[in-house]
Amino acid sequence: MTDLYLQDWRAWTPHRETDGESRLDTRDKPAGKAIPSMLRRRLNLLGRAVCDMLLDLDPSADAIVLHASRHGDGERTLEMLYGLTEGEPLSPARFGLSVHNAIAGVYSIASGNRRSQQAIAASGGEWAALIAEARGYLADDHSSVVVVFSDQPVPRRFAAYAPESCSAAVALRIGQAPAPDARRLSETSVTVETPTLQPLDIIDWLMDKRATVACPMSRRGWQLASVRP
Amino acid sequence: MATTALEHELKEMIIETLELEDVTPDDIDPDEPLFVEGLGLDSIDALELGLALQKRYGITLESEAESSRQHFANLRSLAALVESRRQK
Repeated sequence: MTDLYLQDWRAWTPHRETDGESRLDTRDKPAGKAIPSMLRRRLNLLGRAVCDMLLDLDPSADAIVLHASRHGDGERTLEMLYGLTEGEPLSPARFGLSVHNAIAGVYSIASGNRRSQQAIAASGGEWAALIAEARGYLADDHSSVVVVFSDQPVPRRFAAYAPESCSAAVALRIGQAPAPDARRLSETSVTVETPTLQPLDIIDWLMDKRATVACPMSRRGWQLASVRP
Repeated sequence: MATTALEHELKEMIIETLELEDVTPDDIDPDEPLFVEGLGLDSIDALELGLALQKRYGITLESEAESSRQHFANLRSLAALVESRRQK
């Protein structure tokens, strides 16, 4: 399989220390500076973090954006469903922002980015799906794509049905050209059973706290290596 | 013209319902437009505000666009609507 190249990345999570890494934002609340306040008010913390990261990685707002999240905004969606069972009317703003492509949509409105965007949920196989989709766009002669993976804890009532997760978001700009300051992202077959990948695992991997990330569903693993000898 | 108690109540309702960050009741001029210009609200806010009026005051707006446009023009027209049509 062709190697990909990681050109740059950004991440947000209050559940890690920066350890001097400026690309990781560990504040409890991301600034949300990328989005005007009249649009920003409709985004949750993850949405604000993702938009900030996209602005950093793609200041000219010209990149294809792939956004994966296993559960999306479960809080908002379930609150509305519980409201409906009580006969309460739906909030139009909350309904509009509960869809899986809400964050990418708000980002495109604010930034004026009219390139393709994809919202992905893959039942635990999000990372593998992001890489597969990225390969598709790169094979189609796009020089780079930005892939985003974000999730937050599932609502308490449903916590027993999903692996424990905490709020984290990570965005990577990936291309096919081996730029000197890029890192090679190689993909291999793996057979070991590992827990489902979450955004926090990708952050640890980017910070070299683990050598490999692997997706048990697709039986693929990924490593990063320096391009310069 | 001074702000009435109802106008103040509506300002707080708008800020709370529409989750306006960094906006205080004093920032909302009763005579300035609420939508697009002035406060800068959008069409989703109009739907949200209609729902809030229904919940809090029992007012059901007719779907005819022109009258809604007049009711939602600014805070004073909104207060006039609530004054004349409130059920609770």
